[in-house]
Amino acid sequence: MPHCPFKYHHETLAEVDRFPHIVEFGLRNNNSVTLDSFEVRKANYLQLYYIVDGKFDWIINGKNETLYPGDSALILPGQEIGGAHGYFGIGTLYWIYLKVEKIDSEGCLVLGKWSRIKKSEWQIIGKILESNQKPVMRAGEFSSMFQVMQSEIENSEIGSFTRVNYILDSVLILLCRQVTRQAVSRRDFPKSFTNLEESLRKDLSHKWTVEEMAALMGLGTTTFTEKVKNYTGFPPLNYLINIRISEAIRLLKLKDINITDIALETGFYSSQHFSTTFKKLTGHTPKEYRKRYTSN
Amino acid sequence: MECIITIEIGTNAVRILAIDLKGNVIAKSKGSYPTFHREPDYSEQDPDQMFITMLYVLKNLLSEQIHPKNHTVISICFSASMHSVLPVDRHGVPIGYAITWADNRGKNEALELKNSGIGQKIYEATGTPIHPMSPMIKIAWMKRYDSKRFEKTDKFITIKSYIIQQLTQDYLLDYSLASATGLLNIHTRKWENNALDFAGIKAKQLPDLVPVFHPLNRLRSEYQKSLGLPKGVKIIIGSSDGCLATLGGGIWEEEKATITIEDSGAVRVVGKKPLNDPQQRIFSYLLTGKYYVSGGPTNNGGIAFEWFTKHFGDFKEAYDIEYAMKGLITEASRIKPGSDGLLFLPYLLGERAPIWNANARGSYFGINIKHERQHFIRATLEGILYEIYSIGKTLEDHKNFNSLTTNGSFASIPFCTQILADLFNKPVSVGKNPDSIAQGAFLLSATDLGIFSDLEDAAKSVVMSTTFEPNYQNNTAYMKYFSIFERLSSKLHEEFADIARLQSEL
Repeated sequence: MPHCPFKYHHETLAEVDRFPHIVEFGLRNNNSVTLDSFEVRKANYLQLYYIVDGKFDWIINGKNETLYPGDSALILPGQEIGGAHGYFGIGTLYWIYLKVEKIDSEGCLVLGKWSRIKKSEWQIIGKILESNQKPVMRAGEFSSMFQVMQSEIENSEIGSFTRVNYILDSVLILLCRQVTRQAVSRRDFPKSFTNLEESLRKDLSHKWTVEEMAALMGLGTTTFTEKVKNYTGFPPLNYLINIRISEAIRLLKLKDINITDIALETGFYSSQHFSTTFKKLTGHTPKEYRKRYTSN
Repeated sequence: MECIITIEIGTNAVRILAIDLKGNVIAKSKGSYPTFHREPDYSEQDPDQMFITMLYVLKNLLSEQIHPKNHTVISICFSASMHSVLPVDRHGVPIGYAITWADNRGKNEALELKNSGIGQKIYEATGTPIHPMSPMIKIAWMKRYDSKRFEKTDKFITIKSYIIQQLTQDYLLDYSLASATGLLNIHTRKWENNALDFAGIKAKQLPDLVPVFHPLNRLRSEYQKSLGLPKGVKIIIGSSDGCLATLGGGIWEEEKATITIEDSGAVRVVGKKPLNDPQQRIFSYLLTGKYYVSGGPTNNGGIAFEWFTKHFGDFKEAYDIEYAMKGLITEASRIKPGSDGLLFLPYLLGERAPIWNANARGSYFGINIKHERQHFIRATLEGILYEIYSIGKTLEDHKNFNSLTTNGSFASIPFCTQILADLFNKPVSVGKNPDSIAQGAFLLSATDLGIFSDLEDAAKSVVMSTTFEPNYQNNTAYMKYFSIFERLSSKLHEEFADIARLQSEL
């Protein structure tokens, strides 16, 4: 199928009032260099590029990146992108800009209502995309997905709204999986597990689920649980409790933070929940533990 | 049934075993904790996470495998990794994480001291090679570069001392672990003034010294209760992992040595006198008041083969490294001893004994057009074992031995044990209990309980399962290549330094 350039932008899309979340979507074919056409700039949207042919030298988040056919680049709002020499490069590419509803208090991206991805899943997908260190990824399957999207928008047949949004969801899920695949070395479980441990410690107040932890390692929950148990001696949630209690012990020794705050900060539901768990393991309540330490 | 519990606070995990009085393992359990590397040379662990993990594992083991079967715990014995440093304030609160043996931040301080006259003196007095692993060096580094933390520190303790303190309130350290701090005079068994001066601390900033059989004060009552331990249980402080692995390896004064290879490794002997090597290649640590464990450690044991497997192994199952390793070993066995002239220097993590060169790096040498993938696998395994042999050879400069025992997951792979026997040209036996550290801790407790008359008697009770006899022809083949291995290891000194410098600039 030949690649004919096209461009939908916010107005044309909004006109039909169907895709307010798509700011721009198009395919362009650059045969010549237009100077100063692509300067480094902060992105306002979730921006996704997919190279069909040619070669593009860009600067993404301060790093030089060269994109070849089959590569995609994912830029989140607030990140920077531009041409290495101020221009786009020569070749053909798809691009799509998506509006992000908000970045919530936990730093998670929230898409609009159009997305069918479950909220709980989106939280973790957002986290993974945010943590991404390599914006350029291989994604050969995007070519045909974008072609279908284009024809769906163009023809406005029945069900096209659903199909387009479904493709957008799929694109984001594939990106998320690609990010974990890149970040997680399948050959080095201990290393990946150390990375997971760091993520857990960074955000200990979060009520981590096994699904979320498994997703960060790019594994299904059954394999993940089995691997963790084998490696650490504990099922994932018990391992997490170890970390929560160790951090709580550290905080209990500091006098100026109260026990309820410690409980919440280390991810317990309440000071009651903290107290019971703590006592079960150490034989005394957090209060008694603190007293013992400060009277020493 | 009565049993002894051994608690091993290792580098990556705590391992707890219950062993009946005849020496049979009746229950075991482990829990791991991470090592953090904030900077390239740093290697740190969270002492509270280690304590909690230990407590959790112990509690589970007792409540799931010991109490329901009506076993009675009569003794508990501790062992721990050597060379850790944990600064605590006057309330006993840790200031930052514990620094582990693998931490290299003090490499410049170590180099400086090693080449000085006082360095030689300190080595002779303390038996600990002058190396960044030594707590003396780590403390000296802290005084120079982290003075805030240094000033706030009331005591410099070890991870084991911290865990014991959490359980019983006392700051204690056994002579064994103390002799690996680089601060203890192993002849007089007192803190060594030259070493304290170099570290910049006073003896009162260190824990109180006690013998390895020292019974700990009663557990704090809350732990006694939550663990459900009988009141009369005897808890002894125990020793270091290295000393206990030697005891558990079943060797004693006679002409024997023991090889331990896990991620890292060591070759060790036991004697009534410390071995003093003018080139500072050998450590001597106190096992008890009368006996010394001497030997040499390597950084590049099983971990070097794990590195090879990760990158060149066949991974059909995600993350299943054991499976991949087994496959590689099968392939390696198809190649002749000596890998048809392909040599591997295994110094991926720099090296300790015998070359003591932090800048050393790995290398394949002698590759020709006929070498295939399998040659590289076999050469990698042989290189790791040549390094072990070179430690053994250094020890033989000071003490004869005519047979060896081996333990640890890597050394116990039959393919590797056979190569070791061929290299040393001596029979090598594998212990029945692969957990030689736990075995050693058990023997310590059992001797304390009067089951054995002394440690020698205890060591002799260790049962060997198999003995690998050396093959003379293989030995001849290996020795030809080993001499090149040995020469390369020292000849490349300048190039190691240059490449390490370039790598550190990356």
